Amino acid sequence: MATNPEKPAVPDEKLVRRAQRGDMVAFEELVARHRDKIYARAFSMMRNEEEAVDLSQEAWVKGWQRLKQFQGESSFVTWMTRIVINLCLDQLRKQKRQRAESIEHLDEELGGVERQMPTVTINPTEGLERSELRARIDRALNLLSHEHRTVLILHEFEDLEYKEIAKRMECSIGTVMSRLFYARRKMANLMMSYKREELS
Amino acid sequence: MNLEQQLKLQAWVDGELPDGEARQMADLAVSDESARALVGELRIAKTILVGNEPEVKFPESPDFFWSKIRREIERTENVPAEVPRVSWGQAWRRMLAPLSGVALVAFLSVVSLSVFQRGEIDDGMKYMVEVENLSEDVGSISYKSQSENMFVVYLYDKDQETETESELDPMDDSIIQ
Repeated sequence: MATNPEKPAVPDEKLVRRAQRGDMVAFEELVARHRDKIYARAFSMMRNEEEAVDLSQEAWVKGWQRLKQFQGESSFVTWMTRIVINLCLDQLRKQKRQRAESIEHLDEELGGVERQMPTVTINPTEGLERSELRARIDRALNLLSHEHRTVLILHEFEDLEYKEIAKRMECSIGTVMSRLFYARRKMANLMMSYKREELS
Repeated sequence: MNLEQQLKLQAWVDGELPDGEARQMADLAVSDESARALVGELRIAKTILVGNEPEVKFPESPDFFWSKIRREIERTENVPAEVPRVSWGQAWRRMLAPLSGVALVAFLSVVSLSVFQRGEIDDGMKYMVEVENLSEDVGSISYKSQSENMFVVYLYDKDQETETESELDPMDDSIIQ
């Protein structure tokens, strides 16, 4: 179902109400509008194209099945984003159970490497084009552990409070705080190293 | 500065501290050089990320993606509701309950009919008042009237006993005269 750019778009709320009554065409339009955002969130957490497509597809199917429960307390896209985040967290937990806990991994959880890092005092991204800045952020996110990456995504991109992140990640607020702390330290230092690369 | 203070400074940067502790951290960020540097770094990391989420391109054609979603929705909606599994033991128990009730009714019918066909109630009938019920699922209540030449047995489902106790209608159960 193509959207006509000349006509004012039907608001999401109206499409949701139609979809709640079983209108598949309205739901298709909602998928078309928010597909990229939902996929982007899945990709940012999983860092794998195939998994991100599968999980975002699963999120849309779940969204349809639970549509009657949607009361409109948040926007539809926020609600859908929460669904895909939960699916990604479940998937990451499954993967974590499958792989053995390495010493390096535990060390990273406790901030072993990040403790030794020098404090970044100047903004290493100043003067960068937005596209270049985003490319560097993407590169740096790729190097973080999934726990560090997830906590950054939930705090900085989803704007969730510590308490809410702890609930979603099934850990204590203290763990969220330390993960966020070390993730930020690592992020700042990675951005600094890209700056040095650029200058050399 | 220990880790606890560092985490508190971060919580202050994120606006997650109550007023009293927030003031303490604000003072620390002014008076302590390493605290000030750390706050600077945390703010840089925060500023870099907010509003700069990397953009990713959706890798599939929109039509293909939608067709997969629609197929999956249709598939899940066409799956019949799962019938709960019943173990052999449970199945036997379910079958035995009504069967034992029916057997009891049949037995009492045959006995009472034979008694009434003979046209007499002998002393042996007295012993029929006490009906032995071995079923765990079916209960029975018996009533005998010598003057009316009547012997009544009510059968009921023990599981429903508590639910229907107050509105027990003997007409719903088997009555044998």
